[in-house]
Amino acid sequence: MSNKEKIIYVDDEEVNVMLFEINFSVNFEVYTGYSGFQRLELLDKHPDVKIVISDMKMPGMSGIEFIKIAKEKYPEKRFYILTGFEITEEIQNALKSGLIQKYFRKPFKMKEIENAINEY
Amino acid sequence: MKLLRFEYKITILYLLIGGLWILFSDKILYLLINDSSRLSQFQTYKGWFYVIITAIILFFFIKKHLNKRRNLENELKEFQGLIEKKVELRTEELEAALKHLKETQAQLIQSEKMASLGILTAGVAHEINNPLNYIMGSYVGLLRHYKENSFSDNPEQVGKLIDAMKIGIDRSSAIVQGLNQLSRKSDSYEEECNVHEILENSLTMLNSQIKQHITVRKDFSASEILIKGNVGHLHQVFINILGNAIQAIESEGVITIKTEDKESEVLISITDTGVGIPEENLEKITDPFFTTKAPGKGTGLGLSITYNIIKEHKGKLKFESQEGKGTTVSVILAKPIYHE
Repeated sequence: MSNKEKIIYVDDEEVNVMLFEINFSVNFEVYTGYSGFQRLELLDKHPDVKIVISDMKMPGMSGIEFIKIAKEKYPEKRFYILTGFEITEEIQNALKSGLIQKYFRKPFKMKEIENAINEY
Repeated sequence: MKLLRFEYKITILYLLIGGLWILFSDKILYLLINDSSRLSQFQTYKGWFYVIITAIILFFFIKKHLNKRRNLENELKEFQGLIEKKVELRTEELEAALKHLKETQAQLIQSEKMASLGILTAGVAHEINNPLNYIMGSYVGLLRHYKENSFSDNPEQVGKLIDAMKIGIDRSSAIVQGLNQLSRKSDSYEEECNVHEILENSLTMLNSQIKQHITVRKDFSASEILIKGNVGHLHQVFINILGNAIQAIESEGVITIKTEDKESEVLISITDTGVGIPEENLEKITDPFFTTKAPGKGTGLGLSITYNIIKEHKGKLKFESQEGKGTTVSVILAKPIYHE
């Protein structure tokens, strides 16, 4: 078993998921999912993963909606949003209330995400 | 006497003078002159006297009357001139007001376009950021591979990165092309319009507004539909209709876009399972400035502009709605006639 930091990444766009996997697998152990419900299962399947990064706009459930449910079950996990949208009120509130640690903009900056993960 | 007309007055006056003269003049003459040889001479003088006196009386009488008429006529002419000037002034004022109104209307139409562009911008930015994310991901991976040879063990990863970059580039250029089509400034109604392409573009522009729980179903005719029209304006039409459909769905719902290629016309119907339109409003929804949205939320011009654009295309716009069930908007456009 590697002692790489584990990350869960969820996005409904296949290309985004694939690229994230390729790029972040070098330094992290990456688990990925596409839809809202798959995401929750993913969290249950890997309880030891501390970091969860989610896209904002996904069918069925928005990123923030998903994190709200997940945070209740796993309050110790750190959640992040990675989105192509400008910061919205919903994201702002999530940041204020501590629901999410940070908000990353697409196109993503490798360094920004890596730094945020390694902060702790 | 006042009630009598001039011609009666003058006739009566003439008869009176003539009659009195005939009755009394001879009697007086006979009293004054006894000599019968001089009598015929005085008869002639009397005749002259009569003619001159009546002529003078009539002259002054007619003159007095005509002067009254002339004054009246002059007054009338002055008054007419005054009215003409007033009408001219009013017409000028009205023309200026109309011009102002037209300018304001054009400004409003423009601001409606800008307002919807503002909403669209957020969506388009997201749509472009997504493929940019692909390109960035590919770049990061390929750079690492270039520097550290990180994927030499599984070269298929490199292929995936290159493919992702291509997808990213294709998608962003498609979005930019769509934007160009929307903002195209042309007054021609003779452009070739690909109906499915316009619908897809409109959906892309609205993508960020399509909430999580809205499903968009596309029931497109098998072959592509080409019509003659104005590409930019038709984008505006479908963005307006689809935008309304999205807004009509409060939480969960379905938007169905159906296209039918008929013999002489094209039917595009957009059905939503939203709140619907009350029957009493159905007739008014294409009226300019009619809106049920809160002040500042809608200009009430969207459907009015849509209606006008469809009219310019010699097409038809129909609404069917049931409160609480949803709305279907049908756009019927004529197909171009190709001469064989």
